[in-house]
Amino acid sequence: MSTRQNLQNLQGNHACALAAIHAGCRFYAGYPITPSSEIAETMSAELPKVDGLFIQMEDEIASMGAIIGASAGGAKVMTATSGPGFSLKQENLGYAALTEIPSVIVNVMRGGPSTGMPTRPAQGDIMQARWGTHGDHPTIALTPWSVEEVYAETIRAFNLAELLRTPVIILFDEVIGHLVETVDLARFENPDITDRKWADGKIEGFRPYADPGDGVPAMARPGDGRRVHTTGLSHGEDGFPTQDAELVAQFMARLLGKIETHRKEIERVDIRSCDDADVVIVAYGITARAAYRAVETLRQRGVKAGLFRPVTLWPFPEDAFKKVAERARLVLVPEMNAGQLILEIERLVSGKTRVAGVNLYFGDPITPQQIVETAEAELKQ
Amino acid sequence: MSDFQIRLSGSGGQGLQLAAKILTGALLHEGKRVAQSTSYEPTSRGGLSRSDLVIGEDAVGYPLVTDLDCLLILDQVAVDGSLDVIRPSTLVLMDSERVTAAPTPDCRPVSLPLVQAARGIGNVRTANIIALSVLAELAGFCRTETLKQIIENRMPPRFVPLNLEALEAGIDMARSAEPPK
Repeated sequence: MSTRQNLQNLQGNHACALAAIHAGCRFYAGYPITPSSEIAETMSAELPKVDGLFIQMEDEIASMGAIIGASAGGAKVMTATSGPGFSLKQENLGYAALTEIPSVIVNVMRGGPSTGMPTRPAQGDIMQARWGTHGDHPTIALTPWSVEEVYAETIRAFNLAELLRTPVIILFDEVIGHLVETVDLARFENPDITDRKWADGKIEGFRPYADPGDGVPAMARPGDGRRVHTTGLSHGEDGFPTQDAELVAQFMARLLGKIETHRKEIERVDIRSCDDADVVIVAYGITARAAYRAVETLRQRGVKAGLFRPVTLWPFPEDAFKKVAERARLVLVPEMNAGQLILEIERLVSGKTRVAGVNLYFGDPITPQQIVETAEAELKQ
Repeated sequence: MSDFQIRLSGSGGQGLQLAAKILTGALLHEGKRVAQSTSYEPTSRGGLSRSDLVIGEDAVGYPLVTDLDCLLILDQVAVDGSLDVIRPSTLVLMDSERVTAAPTPDCRPVSLPLVQAARGIGNVRTANIIALSVLAELAGFCRTETLKQIIENRMPPRFVPLNLEALEAGIDMARSAEPPK
């Protein structure tokens, strides 16, 4: 590995845009919204330099529609938004999931509900990221905790979207979006890039949604002569609408199953000081930065604490978490919402370990001190 | 936890974010690692605006401020917003015209006519650069020579002379000021 450094002061949103282009994104459609606007701003300046296309659409719904269309046309695509816009994108997000059109959607979380607090951080959209669009659907959501990780996870989001033909959501909060950090971009000089699997072989009798074995059908390159019907209606292998129970069952098993069978590629966790931990703190985004500082402080005070950080939030890295939680006396879940991930954590520990939350959702990030105090108070109980 | 923590606070429109941007550029130039966060209101003028920096020799762990080494208060609106992160050792630089009193007696306050000096060089908007210059000179977290280089290299050329004048005014003010406790 080279020891040469490429140090830059980069903002989280800026890093997201640059990484997207680095990953091959050549189409961005969006409607600027605080605190994600710098992503659109950077894309509008940088995409033309690489013969990409930036479109400011009339609204959030159209932005989501535009990236789906461009992706169906063969491009790697992205849009970025915040809570109110993320709500508006939900229907089309489900369409992308069902039609299996690769796309990357960034949600820089701000205070909600509704228009809420535009310039303040929150983590209130994580269940919306999982369940916001209707029906059972595959979801991948990534939650970076630093500017450098925004860069890395944005590249990974594109790779997963292309590998699995699915929308991938990048979730971070206003603090991470607007945070400027000194990052070393040298490690990203030659990132692994996954490109879409294109259909080849016989054109006659092409079945666009047939399972090639790994659950991910190859896409037909537009104009290559293959006939493809794309619909948000449930469809069989031929792509045409059906309500035949057997065909729909087959389709849904593949649609949901492709996520399960690729968990190894999708899941990423960061586990720190958990080997002997009595207290496991589960946190993501800026809250995980506070949690890790809290772990250090608790250790200095003699409390064996550790951090479990799901970089991949959805699908939740269940097995890795269960292993860590097994020996803990307390699992603490700080989040800038009224208690969302904690529900998943409670489900996974099934009453075997005590679970407590630290929930602040009034516009300020959770501090290390607040986490330390809650951990100590909970341990006394 | 040897990180050095700075907060530049005041009212939206006083150029605090720009001052922080110049400072982060200068610190990178000096080989330091920074984490800079912002907090502002959804208005283009007015309301509390602040920019925080955590400076480390190596990568910064927790990127938000917890115990300030230096605090700039350029407007009364920002006086109460930092009480939880001010320590007895915190150097608090205030504008003598726009801030009536230190947020707490338990700090090292310095009150100087920053805005008046900005008016003196012909543009009240340069108070941010004067303040940054005073703070850097008093606390020594960054050389004013490096700030000068960043202003020269990054600012639109027509604004460079004015801002260099502000930088010099800040250096003079810091050197003639009574040193903080």
